[in-house]
Amino acid sequence: MQSPVTPLKDDFSLDLPTFERLLDFHVRTGATAISWPHHKGESLNLTIAERKLFAEAAVRVVNGRIPVTIHVSALAVEDTMELARHAQQIGADGILAITPYFWTPTVEAIHAYFVRLCTSIELPVLSYNSPSYLAGVEITGDLMARLIERLPNFVGVKEASFNSEKFLEISRAALAMRPDFAMLTGVEYLLPSVPLGGIGSYSAAGSICPNLCSQLFDACIAGDWPRARDLQYKISWLWLLFRDQYPSSLKGGMVMMGRPVGPTRAPLPTATKERQAYVHAELERLGILDTEPHGW
Amino acid sequence: MPQLQPGLVHTPVTPFTRERAIDLDRYAQLIEFHIANGADTLALPMHAGESVSLPDSERRLLLEFALERVKGRKPLIAHVSETGTGIAVALARHAEAAGAAAVVATTPYYWTPPPAMVLEHFAQIGAAVKIPFFLYNAPEEMQGTKVNAELCHKLIDKLPNFAGVVDLSLDWQFMIELMTDAPRLRPGFQLLAGTELMVSAGAIGAAGMFAPLAGIAPKLVRELYELCRDQKLFEARAAQEQMAALRQAVKAGGIASLKAAMRAMGRDCGEPRPPLLPLDASAYQKLVGELDAIAALRAEPPGW
Repeated sequence: MQSPVTPLKDDFSLDLPTFERLLDFHVRTGATAISWPHHKGESLNLTIAERKLFAEAAVRVVNGRIPVTIHVSALAVEDTMELARHAQQIGADGILAITPYFWTPTVEAIHAYFVRLCTSIELPVLSYNSPSYLAGVEITGDLMARLIERLPNFVGVKEASFNSEKFLEISRAALAMRPDFAMLTGVEYLLPSVPLGGIGSYSAAGSICPNLCSQLFDACIAGDWPRARDLQYKISWLWLLFRDQYPSSLKGGMVMMGRPVGPTRAPLPTATKERQAYVHAELERLGILDTEPHGW
Repeated sequence: MPQLQPGLVHTPVTPFTRERAIDLDRYAQLIEFHIANGADTLALPMHAGESVSLPDSERRLLLEFALERVKGRKPLIAHVSETGTGIAVALARHAEAAGAAAVVATTPYYWTPPPAMVLEHFAQIGAAVKIPFFLYNAPEEMQGTKVNAELCHKLIDKLPNFAGVVDLSLDWQFMIELMTDAPRLRPGFQLLAGTELMVSAGAIGAAGMFAPLAGIAPKLVRELYELCRDQKLFEARAAQEQMAALRQAVKAGGIASLKAAMRAMGRDCGEPRPPLLPLDASAYQKLVGELDAIAALRAEPPGW
């Protein structure tokens, strides 16, 4: 599944025509679903009005060809509630929400948060677990089981611990209760998760190398582990390339692929010409430039 | 350079008498149990063997005793982690002289050292011996001190005997980054799962597994290991989930729970040494209840 970046004009305002082009690119190049705006889409650097505007654009442009989910996590939980209601009004297929930012909430507070969010709308809700970015705040297996028990529209998790034990504690609790619960990884860590019941991932590099993403997914689902390993090593190297000050370098790389999407909003830096050249050299070394689409 | 493919590595506990002395008779019995129940290699005394509660002289004695009892039937890896680099170096030299097949060491205790210090620590331990040196990466056990792929690449450059990483970080980002380059820089370089969570590590390329729970559930450990070794990863999920349930049951109580679970399986190895406390009666009953709920344990051998 692809989560588009947020294209910006040189004055850092939203670039709607390029966003529409990017959505269409993802749909044409094999995305199985669209989700916006993840942190990669600079969610927390956008105003709530901007997030609503582009959420509407995403639903309109994708136009039912594949599902669209809206990431509603915001600093203020009241904004999250508002974005969730909005997503339902505009016809999105679901929402995605992380554990609350900043407050390092207790297990009971996280439980109360998801209960309030999920009972406020009828849409399916995907949770988002990212302990390494949120000071250890996480959804444990026990908490996941309680939420599944309580909430019929609590349907999956974007699991971004990238840790064998954390993934497994959630997956074995969740899949025992709800076999179709969606165990998804945050970026393309499909090789270590699919054998444990993972059924997909979001993507960091999909706007650079959509073919590689699809090949990795197919190899994992088919259990072709030697091929999956080669592809996983390659795509994970790209993640290391993009991870630092994400998505600055990713946007720089998109320039190199003929799909410029403008600068990155502060406090994140915009990739310099030198950084773009380094990303270009790495893409060349990995063979990405020859095997992936150039331009829109 | 001598090679070692450790495969499935059992990491025995260290039995103590009521007077807190090492119970060597029981240790001999335990070693025979591990050899008869699926170990390809033994590693001792790991943290599961309370290495940090054994004075230097006891660590040496324990290793010599184990080597004498094993008599070459299986390779033996000596755990030589220490706070001071010089003390670890001396333990490594002793292990090689006594006949260990390899040494394994983690980051220095207590100092929470920066990367350059960690590199120098490992470089000195590895350079002290000619037998293979394995690095044990266990940030959760080591106050968060981590090893990264770059440090491993530097160690490959410095140490001809740096043979692999025993990983307890469980971190997919680290394991994949490590295995992207290390086997190219050092042919035969091995990733070994540091505990019985091998499906993801095996997918990434782990060739072996350290198994602190092998004294409780040797059959389940062997089944999980063989499925992962044979790359039957979808088939391994059921065994992995049972193994994870056992790990969670034992994890919170640490060594006290590990030893209590061994007693519940009919293989009493006494209680842990201070400062660790034994489980009290109600905690023991709770643990026994949790073990009873794990179906796979019913197929495990009772007693010795």
